[in-house]
Amino acid sequence: MSTGSNRTYCDGVARRDFIQIGALMGMGLGVNLPMWESLRASTPDRSGKAKSAIFVRLMGGPSHMDTFDLKPGAPSTHRGEFKERSTLVPGIRMCEHLPRLARTNDKFSVIRGISHSLAAHELGQKYLASGNRPIASLQYPAYGAVVAREIGSTNALPPFIAIPSQSDNPTGYLGMQYGPFETGRTPQKGQPMRVRGLGLEQGMTLEDIQRRHNLVQRYDTAFGTLAQEDKLLAGMDEFSQKSYQMIRSRETREAFDLSREPESISSLFGESGFSQSCLLATRLVESGVPFVTVSFGGWDTHQDNFSQLKEDNLPQLDDGLGGLFEALHAKGLWDSTVVFVTGEFGRTPKINERGGRDHYPRAMVALMGGGGIHGGQAIWRIGCKRAKAPKDRIFTPDDLAATLYRCLGIDHHKEYLTPTGRPVMLVRNGNPIQELLA
Amino acid sequence: MMMAALLGEPTVSAAGTQPAVSEPCDLRFGGTGDEVPVSFRRHVIPLASRLGCSSRECHGSFQGQGELRLSLFGYDFEMDHQALTAENDERIDRNHPENSLILKKATLQEKHRGKKRMDVGSWEYNVFLNWIKSGAHNDAETSGAFLKLEILPSQIQFLRSGELVELKVLAHWDNGDVEDVTGMTRFQTNDESVATVDKRGVVTAVGSGDTHIVAFYDNGVAPVEVLIPWDSELARKYPALRTRTEIDRLVLAKLSRLGIVPSEVCGDEDFLRRVRLDLTGTLPTPDEVMRFLHDPSPGKRQAKIEMLLNTPEYAAWWATRLCDFTGNNNQQMPERNFRNEFSTQWWEWIHQRITQNVPYNQIVRGIVLASSRSSPQESFEVYATEMSGYLQKNEPGSFADRPSMPHFWARRNVRTADEKALSISHAFLGVRIECAQCHKHPFDQWTQQDFSQFKDFFEPVRFGRNPADNPKQTGKSYASILAEIEESTGYDRKMGTNRKAFDEEIKRRVAMGEPVPWQEVFVDQRFSGSPTLKNPNQKRRLNTRVLTPKLLGGEAVMLATYSDPREPLMDWMEDRENPYFSRAFVNRVWAHYFHRGLVEPADDMNLANPSVNEPLLDYLAGGFIESGFDMKWLHREILTSDTYQRSWRPNDSNRYDERNFSRMILRRLPAEVVHDAIQQATAPSSEISHMPSKIDGRAIGVKSSILSANTRNGLGYALNVFGKPERLNNCDCERSNQPTLLQTIYTRNDPDVLTAVTGKEGRTYRWADEIREQLRSSAPAQNKRADRKSIQSELQKVRVAYQDHTKNKPVPPEDPDPAAQQRYRKSMRQYQNQLQALKEERDNLVSRLESPSADSPTSQNQVALEKAINEVFLRTLSRLPLSHEFQNAMHDIHSAPNAADALSELLWALLNTKEFLVNH
Repeated sequence: MSTGSNRTYCDGVARRDFIQIGALMGMGLGVNLPMWESLRASTPDRSGKAKSAIFVRLMGGPSHMDTFDLKPGAPSTHRGEFKERSTLVPGIRMCEHLPRLARTNDKFSVIRGISHSLAAHELGQKYLASGNRPIASLQYPAYGAVVAREIGSTNALPPFIAIPSQSDNPTGYLGMQYGPFETGRTPQKGQPMRVRGLGLEQGMTLEDIQRRHNLVQRYDTAFGTLAQEDKLLAGMDEFSQKSYQMIRSRETREAFDLSREPESISSLFGESGFSQSCLLATRLVESGVPFVTVSFGGWDTHQDNFSQLKEDNLPQLDDGLGGLFEALHAKGLWDSTVVFVTGEFGRTPKINERGGRDHYPRAMVALMGGGGIHGGQAIWRIGCKRAKAPKDRIFTPDDLAATLYRCLGIDHHKEYLTPTGRPVMLVRNGNPIQELLA
Repeated sequence: MMMAALLGEPTVSAAGTQPAVSEPCDLRFGGTGDEVPVSFRRHVIPLASRLGCSSRECHGSFQGQGELRLSLFGYDFEMDHQALTAENDERIDRNHPENSLILKKATLQEKHRGKKRMDVGSWEYNVFLNWIKSGAHNDAETSGAFLKLEILPSQIQFLRSGELVELKVLAHWDNGDVEDVTGMTRFQTNDESVATVDKRGVVTAVGSGDTHIVAFYDNGVAPVEVLIPWDSELARKYPALRTRTEIDRLVLAKLSRLGIVPSEVCGDEDFLRRVRLDLTGTLPTPDEVMRFLHDPSPGKRQAKIEMLLNTPEYAAWWATRLCDFTGNNNQQMPERNFRNEFSTQWWEWIHQRITQNVPYNQIVRGIVLASSRSSPQESFEVYATEMSGYLQKNEPGSFADRPSMPHFWARRNVRTADEKALSISHAFLGVRIECAQCHKHPFDQWTQQDFSQFKDFFEPVRFGRNPADNPKQTGKSYASILAEIEESTGYDRKMGTNRKAFDEEIKRRVAMGEPVPWQEVFVDQRFSGSPTLKNPNQKRRLNTRVLTPKLLGGEAVMLATYSDPREPLMDWMEDRENPYFSRAFVNRVWAHYFHRGLVEPADDMNLANPSVNEPLLDYLAGGFIESGFDMKWLHREILTSDTYQRSWRPNDSNRYDERNFSRMILRRLPAEVVHDAIQQATAPSSEISHMPSKIDGRAIGVKSSILSANTRNGLGYALNVFGKPERLNNCDCERSNQPTLLQTIYTRNDPDVLTAVTGKEGRTYRWADEIREQLRSSAPAQNKRADRKSIQSELQKVRVAYQDHTKNKPVPPEDPDPAAQQRYRKSMRQYQNQLQALKEERDNLVSRLESPSADSPTSQNQVALEKAINEVFLRTLSRLPLSHEFQNAMHDIHSAPNAADALSELLWALLNTKEFLVNH
């Protein structure tokens, strides 16, 4: 479904629903070359520390060089207008317009020098949301869908909630029953979020809801055993069960009610939609939701990169993430929640003639913190000039995915069977980033 | 090694006519001598591609790799040659060929991040080495034109998994050369669970099913069908099955090879509901279901299809589908004050033509060749008045009567020639050529040059202010009208002041039918070959470019002979030899009636994505052309087939087949249809019979074209939750028929649905309100105990009254007066009548208390209930209840405090069954 968070990207396309990966993608052409050899033998999986994850998607591709990976030594054609500032962690510097994050960066780590080669939004987003480079013949599931399947619901709340939406076919080969519950809008400060259809409507009681649910079950028998075999029917049944639990549950209604949040917590957040989304994410995690996606659009800064970042994006990011980190701490959720913040790619080091930066998958930056993550680091970096070989290693989105799964205690080498019976590994090409693991 | 049965084994034609085929690559290039000539285009580039050098992960990346960049998928010979042979580089060392960097890297004699690609001395190595030895020339211009790729065998039928077949790939060149290029070909399988292929072209059977192996060489892309039966016994001894139509015959031909027996033809209830929903986007009404079920005539299905093809709902729903295909999006309409009006015009224009069954190619003609003015001679004032006339308050003109519909070209997201080329090829050719904007299409024959020549058709097609509109013409011009309005409203475009007043004035004028500065779709005559260029500045600006657009896979067109470049394009599209136009539409319509197209995705026709049933697609595409692009012919042809009418119930042989139409695969109802079906199922009886044909306000009609994509209220909310397409991207995948949690929450608990079902609290009168009144008037069924109690208390009252009455027994008069005697007899009669009445009432109540039926409703009420239960099933599931369903329902109603509420709850429950929400 379409939602307010969707922005139109440089190619004029507002992403909606799932876009078939068209022919833009490389296919397995018989020769699959891992770009970099893995430098470390994979170590045995240890059980994850985190019970929940919050995945913050900066849609459009934030400029790494104007956020967490500034290059003050670069020529003026590249380095940008922003200055670096020191942070709580000696030796780590970041953009001057992220004061709050600079004060809280003992909690999270900055991963620089992440690199891939998909410069289109939808492909990059799919890659970063799944840890698998998209291919035409197979749709990979996003993390949330995997968590929905591996961890599942701990209570009446759905296991995978997207604020406000995540609609690029995030379930892939796992099937639609693992899809996200989309709030459909961003929450507003101090308001119970009225998620349409979750209230007790028309004076109905919980007994009514239960009676009605039984009634549907009694009449919904036309397809017999096909209901278990058919993907569509199985998906509908799954949602039917789920919606029954959700509508019945008081827990559900309260989880979406930001007005129940004490002042000490709600005051940590700004009023922007992103900030409030972060607040909602903490509430949902507190209520036992294992995976929450927060999408924050507007990072596709082909023009006026600096004024847009300075006036709009960075203050919101600073407030939202700062609040998120602090609130998780305050609620005692920090060690059981892993937070992963990323865009789909970085932006070109060279500033274009419109004062913007264009797509640049060769270098990007991500943040990770929380349960299982060793915070207060900035790890690895590559040079800013495109053609130069990286100084050290390059991280891939696959590595980030493997790290995330490790934190959640999910074996990233687990194999699933697709509906056609093909075995597929959860993340084949990535390895957890050891420096990050606490 | 087991070898499979090979179909299509190369048939060797008479010796002499068959050109000599070269030896396989390894034999040809395997020797150490350098006598074998090596071609850059024919050998070096394809081999580099097969070895993965020019793949996206390696040097094909737009950033290159290790400072070497090759063209992605290798078709830019000039660029690749330059990259490989650049001066000051050691990649190619003509003096010491063995020292060339490309050889040393690829053999890992030097460090190579891309690892080892070949061995020193291998035939692959020799190809590169010999090419360098012979001077490392680029022969792309002289190698002759590539004609086609031939794969042998052309089709593989395996019997069981594990079998192997080796493919041979022949490249045909226009000078008559036929080269075995198997070793230089890239292969891919379209389904690894059916068959795999290795780099030598050896195909391995993996599991049952059918798919294609695709070979890529130069710009040739050739698929080979691979098939492994689900039941090879059954495939060998396939039963003789009756086929009623050509579609059935062609589907069965494939099924028999797969060892699949199709499901039975479905029952009448399923058929009626299915065809109603698919063809007209509308549920059948209860009356319609009953009439159809009772109709004994053998041809009733055909007659029903025929009848439905003439309904307004058919025209409305298919106008909406054509608006999907053509991208009618109100947010992209140009005039900010009239976006919905433009989208409405678009829908109505198509709707009128579907109502009149105008041939499909004529409709497309009206869109593709559209300009805003009726003729190039028409003055701006006349045009602008006409446009306002369509939107004026009183007696607006009919936009649909216009011969052409220009809004397709007016969309804000379709302004550049590139965007127009993409939109046209997607909407009418079912081809996605966006890849070729930047590089050779990886799955099709299209090159960047093909794309850039195709888009030339659209360079002169403009939207905006027509520069030919000059002050010398008669009447008011765009500029003068604009100036008039700006002056009268004080609007300052630069400063943005008084914009609101300006907009209001525009709206006022339009409402009055007065001309406003409408922008327009026009063909910029400065591009045509005619020597009308007067202004030398203009000429320089346009770079005096002579456009020679090329049709996709067709010929170049000299535009000088046309004033509108779209004319030759349209002629080509509707030509019976066009490989896309008819197929694209036929395939989309097929995808509408089944869970997938014959080519799937339905809008992605490319060489690497062949149809699952090529003869069937051919037949339908050819027949559609034969019929004169008669859309009703196409609907009829599909809908009357047994293939469309198959049951959804799988049998043992087709349980796992979802590709070949051996049974009806369930589909969730489309967004618009779900919404309308819920509304219709809950409507009062007085309305329901008119609802199917009443298009106003229906989601299947114009509504779905003018609702904002982001609306979260009312109808728009429902449509978005259920995946209505935004019509923004060139992708049929925008329409989603997947279920989601929010959909279930919507049908179960959304205020809109609950109000429609239960009535009473809503503003509109619903069936629930009606049934409530009905049951009340026919003595509502009551709670057993309450009922019994009330009978008892009634009985008590009657008994008391009886006793009391006996006290009133008249005493005979002692007075013999006849008048007194008369009065006595009269009151005695009254007394006895009264007594009798009370007695009867008492007996009645006693019998009601004592008899088993005492606590059931009156028989009249019982009939009403039975009728209502049937009605609920007919309204939602379009069938009568099965006997156990009926008994369940009756039981539920009797045990509920209120029968009417119980019925509306039953209605709610059935709306929430899968049976209601899917087409089956």
